[in-house]
Amino acid sequence: MASLKRSLDSDPFAANISSKVYVRSTKRGKVQKIVREVYLRQDIPCSSKLCQSCLRSAPTDAAGRSTPFVLSEAPAGTSVYQQGHYLVPDTNAFLTAMDLFEQSAAFYDVVVLQVVLEELRNRSLPLYNRLINLTKSEDKRFYVFFNEFRLETHVARQEGESVNDRNDRAVRKAVAWYAQHLARTGAEKVPAVVMLTNDRDNLRKAKLEDIPACSLADYVRQLKDGDKLLDMIPETQDQDVVKERRPGDLLYPEYFSMSKMMTGVKGGLLHQGTFNVSPYNYLEGSIRVPAFPKALLILGRENINRAIDGDLVVVEVLPKDQWKEPSTQVIEEDAITKNENPDAGENEALVSERERKALQEEVRRTHGKTTEGHAQPTAKVVGVIKRNWRQYVGHIDQSSVSQSAQQGRKQDTVFVIPMDRKIPKIRLRTRQVAELVGKRILVTIDAWDRGSRHPSGHFVRSLGELETKAAETEALLLEYDVQYRPFPKTVLDCLPKEGHDWKVPQSLDDPGWRDREDLRGLLICSIDPIGCQDIDDALHSRPLPNGNVEVGVHIADVSHFVRPNNAMDNEASIRGTTVYLVDKRIDMLPMLLGTDLCSLKPHVERYAFSVIWEMSPDADVVNVRFTKSVIKSREAFSYEQAQLRVDDGSQQDDLTKSIRALLGLSKKLKQKRLDAGALSLSSPEVKVQMESETSDPIDVKTKELLDTMSLVEEFMLLANTSVARKIHEAFPQTAILRRHGAPPKTNFDELADQLRVKRGLDLSVESSRALADSLDACVDPSEPFFNTLVRIMATRCMMAAEYFCSGTQAYPEFRHYGLASEIYTHFTSPIRRYADLAAHRQLAAAIGYETVDPSVRSRGRLEAVCKNINVRHRNAQLAGRASIAYYVGQALRGKATEEDGFVMKIFSNGFVVLVPRFGIESLIRLRDLAEPEPQAEFDAETYTLETSGSRAVKVELFQKVRVHVTDQKDETTGKRGVKMELVKVC
Amino acid sequence: MASTQHVLLSPAELAYLHASLSLTPPIRPDGRTRTQFRPLVAETGILPGANGSARICFADGTEAIVGVKAEVERTQSRHDDETVYVEGAANNGGDGDAETKEDSRTGDSSWAEMTVEIPGLRDDDSGTAFLAAMLSEALLADGEFARRLWINRRFHWKLYLDIILISPPLSYPLPLLSLTTHLALLSTRLPRLQSEGDEDPFFDDDWAAAPHLFPRPTTTTPTHRPPITLLVMAVGDSIIFDPSKEELAVADVALAVSVSGDRSEPGEGGAGRKLRLLSIRTIDPPSRLTPPGVANAANSAYGAGNGAPQKMAEARTAEAEAAAEEGVWRAPRGGAKRAVLGALVQKVLEAGGVVDEVLDALEGVDLG
Repeated sequence: MASLKRSLDSDPFAANISSKVYVRSTKRGKVQKIVREVYLRQDIPCSSKLCQSCLRSAPTDAAGRSTPFVLSEAPAGTSVYQQGHYLVPDTNAFLTAMDLFEQSAAFYDVVVLQVVLEELRNRSLPLYNRLINLTKSEDKRFYVFFNEFRLETHVARQEGESVNDRNDRAVRKAVAWYAQHLARTGAEKVPAVVMLTNDRDNLRKAKLEDIPACSLADYVRQLKDGDKLLDMIPETQDQDVVKERRPGDLLYPEYFSMSKMMTGVKGGLLHQGTFNVSPYNYLEGSIRVPAFPKALLILGRENINRAIDGDLVVVEVLPKDQWKEPSTQVIEEDAITKNENPDAGENEALVSERERKALQEEVRRTHGKTTEGHAQPTAKVVGVIKRNWRQYVGHIDQSSVSQSAQQGRKQDTVFVIPMDRKIPKIRLRTRQVAELVGKRILVTIDAWDRGSRHPSGHFVRSLGELETKAAETEALLLEYDVQYRPFPKTVLDCLPKEGHDWKVPQSLDDPGWRDREDLRGLLICSIDPIGCQDIDDALHSRPLPNGNVEVGVHIADVSHFVRPNNAMDNEASIRGTTVYLVDKRIDMLPMLLGTDLCSLKPHVERYAFSVIWEMSPDADVVNVRFTKSVIKSREAFSYEQAQLRVDDGSQQDDLTKSIRALLGLSKKLKQKRLDAGALSLSSPEVKVQMESETSDPIDVKTKELLDTMSLVEEFMLLANTSVARKIHEAFPQTAILRRHGAPPKTNFDELADQLRVKRGLDLSVESSRALADSLDACVDPSEPFFNTLVRIMATRCMMAAEYFCSGTQAYPEFRHYGLASEIYTHFTSPIRRYADLAAHRQLAAAIGYETVDPSVRSRGRLEAVCKNINVRHRNAQLAGRASIAYYVGQALRGKATEEDGFVMKIFSNGFVVLVPRFGIESLIRLRDLAEPEPQAEFDAETYTLETSGSRAVKVELFQKVRVHVTDQKDETTGKRGVKMELVKVC
Repeated sequence: MASTQHVLLSPAELAYLHASLSLTPPIRPDGRTRTQFRPLVAETGILPGANGSARICFADGTEAIVGVKAEVERTQSRHDDETVYVEGAANNGGDGDAETKEDSRTGDSSWAEMTVEIPGLRDDDSGTAFLAAMLSEALLADGEFARRLWINRRFHWKLYLDIILISPPLSYPLPLLSLTTHLALLSTRLPRLQSEGDEDPFFDDDWAAAPHLFPRPTTTTPTHRPPITLLVMAVGDSIIFDPSKEELAVADVALAVSVSGDRSEPGEGGAGRKLRLLSIRTIDPPSRLTPPGVANAANSAYGAGNGAPQKMAEARTAEAEAAAEEGVWRAPRGGAKRAVLGALVQKVLEAGGVVDEVLDALEGVDLG
């Protein structure tokens, strides 16, 4: 009996075919062996402009053009590779130092190998996306070389070789091939091809094979000004150097394995959710999990176990004897960990003495009372599913800088305090301490291992001096992830060629006029805030012969200019919304469209999308129609101008009359809305007045409310509602709508209790109507602001409104709680909100104006869009508020005033005061009251804090207080903020 | 399947064959010794998408392919079983001792599913079903195989064995299919488990790290091998292995014997192998359906019994019942003799015998 195995040599094409085998585990638990055949080719170009042979054989597209070559013919040199060089980094180089590659000072002409790109994608999607962006940027000259598909550079895995070793070998082979290949071009100066890796073994093997290779640090040292870049190489713990820690040295418990967590989550024993840190207490976090109606508490460093705000974590519920009440104490990281030494690696205990003390305080308090029912379930983090780390803006903690570091250029370890209080201190190693102190800097977190109290990170770049306008604004934009880079060329290419000269075509036969109604004859005007450039909306009204009134809302026809799925559309959908800062606007669409071609400027013909109602004099809608149109606005009013004009009885022209008619209707509409249970909520809004020349803030004013504002608002709400109905009717599954969920009753528990205890008022939350009524009843005759205060606090108990795709919710869930509307969408601001643009496209399709674009019908895509714009919308709001807060701080700089304030929140060691005049709130700690810190008695039942000793005051919730307001630079965040001192209790 | 193919041999030829095979040593038509196998060509890993596969081609032109596919399947738990598995996993992970773990592994015969396809036959044909039953019966006989498919208390591998004869069934395909299955199982690999305890299983995505279902022989541990089923027949007193189609046509007894050969200690040849008999099935040999020969004396062509043609048939039958006449073919009748059966089994289990030879040869195939 004989046996043999067929050899593949008999196959003449065997050399060109290879295969890749791996195991794929699907979400549903299937495990498959996957075999991919790889067909090797020889026409994949090296993309060096030096190379002629690749140019000849490069594959071409249908039009016979090949992709232009990327790598420069005269690349830059370094001190070692003076003839110029191309870089070939391995995966780890990108993983650890992506920031380096994004530098504009160096790192040009980089060959990104396919094997590296694929590995990077598996390891970190955000980094992969950043690399892809780099490869698209023309000036960086990054070229993706498909080494796995090129015959000469394809590497088959050898027996017993690990995947990593194979990939390293593939990188070396590609480097060697590039060197050989370039040598054959016969160029005078053949650039060196240098492999970048931090892997010692790989470096050693490269040396054996005579391949030029450098570690990142070595390479950076060869560059001019390399020292500065050295900081951007993250703190890698060299595997040989890593000290073997004894198990006792590890500070944090180990995470569960991924499969153990998944099994636990599926079995309902563990819970998965997003980790949130309390803004008042950095040692307290909470996590909302689907299994329970209320959030679980996570208390203490050990239970938080290296989770950082925003991480997707898995938690385990702790036994009942460890359940606690949420703290009523303010614990700030800087106060407690102030004296820590960033260099101390050895003898740090997980919980420092001071932290322990703070906790004891807690326990004593919990035990002191017999309110067992108040204890809340607690949990501990057992693993992290996904880190949500990003780049953080912060500044170096001055106290962590040692004296010697101030001068020398030796590497030093310092703490960076992030601007976001919820993020723990980050340990940073840098050589440029002296330069970075006092600057806003951008850092990233690299790792947080079990042996270290704080996460370690590396420096990315400096934004500038603290408190300079440029640095602070950029810091804001970075913190809230606002895309503020200028629009790339591909986007600008989508604009109309005529530029600012674009006009509505004269001839009615022009395709632009197809199905457009000519409304140029109507008396249309726009009403906006002063100085508004991107005018989205305009209105008109005219009496009809039958006694009814025709009312039209005309919205800028942005969808005419922004076609679905082109570069501009994609960019807009990523940006999601225009962000308004006090002194700056970050546009969603390029200026040309936003402030000119789409903007419904007065006296100019513009394309519009019109909603036209016939209304009875009682403001009942008789019928509604939607049409694309051409309009010519007669006037662009500011709210104030419009108000003046309406109030001025001598003005009797048609335009003014029509505004008056609109005003009358809007009041009736508003009343109807309020009757239906719409809430009028409140948030402290202020406006910063700027000096017009230097745009320095000079004063802060609370916003005034005018009738004309409510006029515009009412008709916009009506338009949005009408459009929502129409698109939902046309696209029951895919209409893009906006909902505002009814808040869970538990959200109001605390506020209702506070109102009952302190004022004997009853807050009923059964429906929005009941809530609106009981809010109306919350008045204190002696204090007119009390009602607003309650409204502000109620607003904070609400859910956030969100965009959604109609197929994802049942019809009753469409309800907009705040507006008491059954269905709602955003339609009226397409220049600054992407959701409106999508609604425009859907409405255009619904009225048969244009064919349905696949992008407005694909539910998956729309859901992704909704998800993104919800996040962007929220971030834009936060950024706007933060910007106002910053400028309020700047406006108050050097001024000291005394203002009235109200107590909003009480802790056992401090209380929060809101000053309506500036729309700011601030914490007053016990220790701020007097020196030494007074004794305090805190009664959580009655929300009273009574101090004795060095200063005796009694502070109650909702109480009016007189505070001394000054500006102060916050040591923690480096922000200039407001400092309040209690003058007296009124 | 009746082990019949149309044997186009005349009674005289059958008689000749029978006679020559009954000699000691027997003389086989193709000149082989009693225990010699026909040469075969074998290879593994021919189906890249399967977990394991093999192809064997016999010299007579019959050829079979076996593919093994594995899927993760949830183990049906009993209703009264309320064990919370995660707790157990937590305990096990730390100091789980190997012995208790080994014991807790249980298998179920439903975890392996076998289908046989023979060209020209329906897949619910009794013959095909019988073949599949015989093959899986041998595989699952001792429960050890199913135990290998155990992942943890909640999950197991479900193995699908697809056995396809790709040539026309020229001879009884059982040994071919069995050997191919054996080889395919030897080459079968399952993704490496990374999770611990009773967690939802989680596997290494590196195929090269996937261990074999039947681990390679090592110097320390005894190795377990899948069984093989051999066809043995007896003609008179001679016992013949791997009968060809023609030989089978004159068999007195044909047996399908399933054997497993676990190595207790490694070494060349069959020395360290412990053979275990797993199952025996008697095969209905085609010889029973062959037409009998007619003795010259009873043949009218030779002038016998011209006078009473009606009585001829009866007389001939009666004669046939009587003692055999040398050189005249008579289909075997009745069961096998106990002694012959015993001898057959003993011959199969002989140390250093045919089974060892076959297993050694199969071990020699590169498993890639």
